[in-house]
Amino acid sequence: MIAIQILNGLVYGSLLMIVASGLVLIYGLRRVVNFAHGSLFMLGAYIAYAASLQFGFGGGLAAAVAALAAVGFCLDRFGFRLLQDRDPLTVMLVTFGLLLVFEDVVQSVWGKQSYSLPAPEALQGTVELLGSPFPVYRLAIVAVGALVAACLVGWLRFSRIGLFIRGASTDPVTTAMQGVNTDRLSGGVVAVGAALAGLAGVVSGPFLSLSPTMGSDILIDSFVVVVIGGLGSFAGAFAAAMVLGQVQALGAVYLPDLAALLPFALMTAVLVWRPSGLSGSRV
Amino acid sequence: MSAIISATALEETQVKPNPGVLRLCAMAAAALAVGLAVSLSVASNGLMSLLTQATIYAVFALGLGFLLKQNGMVSFGHALFFGLAGYLVGAAVNLTGWPVGTVIVMTLAAIGVFAFGLALVIVRVPGIAFGMLTLAIGQSFYVLVSKSRGFTGGADGMNINFPAQVFGVELASFQNPSSMFLICWLTLVALVLLLALLLRTGFGPLTEAIRENEERVRFIGFRTLLPRAAVFAISAMVTAAGGILSALYTGFVSPESLHWSVSGTVLIMVVLGGSRTLWGPAVGAVVYYLFRDFVGEHTTHWMSIFGVSLIAVIVLWPAGIAGGASRAATGVKQFVARRLA
Repeated sequence: MIAIQILNGLVYGSLLMIVASGLVLIYGLRRVVNFAHGSLFMLGAYIAYAASLQFGFGGGLAAAVAALAAVGFCLDRFGFRLLQDRDPLTVMLVTFGLLLVFEDVVQSVWGKQSYSLPAPEALQGTVELLGSPFPVYRLAIVAVGALVAACLVGWLRFSRIGLFIRGASTDPVTTAMQGVNTDRLSGGVVAVGAALAGLAGVVSGPFLSLSPTMGSDILIDSFVVVVIGGLGSFAGAFAAAMVLGQVQALGAVYLPDLAALLPFALMTAVLVWRPSGLSGSRV
Repeated sequence: MSAIISATALEETQVKPNPGVLRLCAMAAAALAVGLAVSLSVASNGLMSLLTQATIYAVFALGLGFLLKQNGMVSFGHALFFGLAGYLVGAAVNLTGWPVGTVIVMTLAAIGVFAFGLALVIVRVPGIAFGMLTLAIGQSFYVLVSKSRGFTGGADGMNINFPAQVFGVELASFQNPSSMFLICWLTLVALVLLLALLLRTGFGPLTEAIRENEERVRFIGFRTLLPRAAVFAISAMVTAAGGILSALYTGFVSPESLHWSVSGTVLIMVVLGGSRTLWGPAVGAVVYYLFRDFVGEHTTHWMSIFGVSLIAVIVLWPAGIAGGASRAATGVKQFVARRLA
């Protein structure tokens, strides 16, 4: 019973990790807290739903990730890049305005009812795990989470672009002086961040259901993750996402009345103890 | 050349003299007269109730704007104080037989103490993380109120059984748009006046200095935590006053009033109106309501239109309506002065 709950926590933690790593990427390069991130997640899920009616789950996944990468690139090119000298609050409110626009677009195209995105054939059904049945699809979510984490770590640690990204997140001016085109870099990185939000949306489609509020729920949770981890820190966000997944899953069983409060209590406790988060030094 | 530069630099950094008490009172009286004129000239009940709602949210926005103006901090969780004030008043009125006046004073005091205690802990968290922290705290209360069904009625909200007379005034006057508009307007003007008077004391410059450079103020020998917490508490109490007005007007509170989207919406009003003046956010609230009503009549896509206009205002007009108005006023003054010279 407990083992199954821990697995469920791992599933939600993996989802949160994918969403939060997109937030961290965007914050790292542009110092923008992206309130529209949850609606990118939602947009990914709905685009995948629409495309999967034609091309199946795989086609939906590809379409959503590609579309969201394009949205992210435009967001950076026509938004963050033009506003990079402005007050962080200004940019934050611009992303808040985008959130309204995206929600309205989704509602006017797909209406207010909820949909469900069927899991691909190969991943339907359950497996016997520790004596109880467990949906295969949820294991696949964990696998995707692990894959995304591994790719991100590999990309950021061992590639030349990764080196530039790490440089630009720490000190954009010096990195630009070394000859790195930080604007182009940011365009790519924000596209990747948005694509990750879209990917998480698609992956969660068969797990959660598609509704116009799905974005704002996960947005709040991933904010909690990013803040607990320390804004701009991947390691912190990974750890915080896993902890939060467990808190959600185990809290739902052992403290059902307070479960929804626990993430916020955790965040408040961490920030009171360390105002810059678990592994963050910059805010 | 250098004379021109230093002249403009002087103009920009020049500390504006505080308006005198008499002038402030005259402005308040003029604002009251405007409110009276509006209530007499508007015949449509629908428009009146829209204006009453707008004025209630103007009080909310005044509180949130005060925090941004004096502390430079953005709260995404101020709906907490708005909604909680309604619940406190509701609970006290429903469960005890205390007079409503006492209940209101105690609610304001309780919110003030609560916000001050909270602020002592959270104002130490810098920048954007503060916004997210307030978001989390606000959301946790939203969840708490929605879940504790037995006490608050959960998602269905809570009806408040006000006595037939409140402050010796018939309850009906509070729940009728045209008389309630005047009450809300009076409250709004009184609160703006009180805050303006407060900022004329040493508290105003001190908090502004802390906002600009906290470390330097500490070097001069001031404590900075208490003033910042005080700003937060005052801002919460003003917002709570809005929540109490809303509870009186509708006789009802629901968890929706605590949701973070309410905080976000009011933040839009603050930015729209301009947070460099006290009254800017209140103007923003009224404009928001009128604009939303106007757009809502013509299309269902008001969210998109609002999102786009919000982005446009923020990008093109960072000082908001109040900033634009004061620039225009300066322009007119200079024009007149040039003509007279």
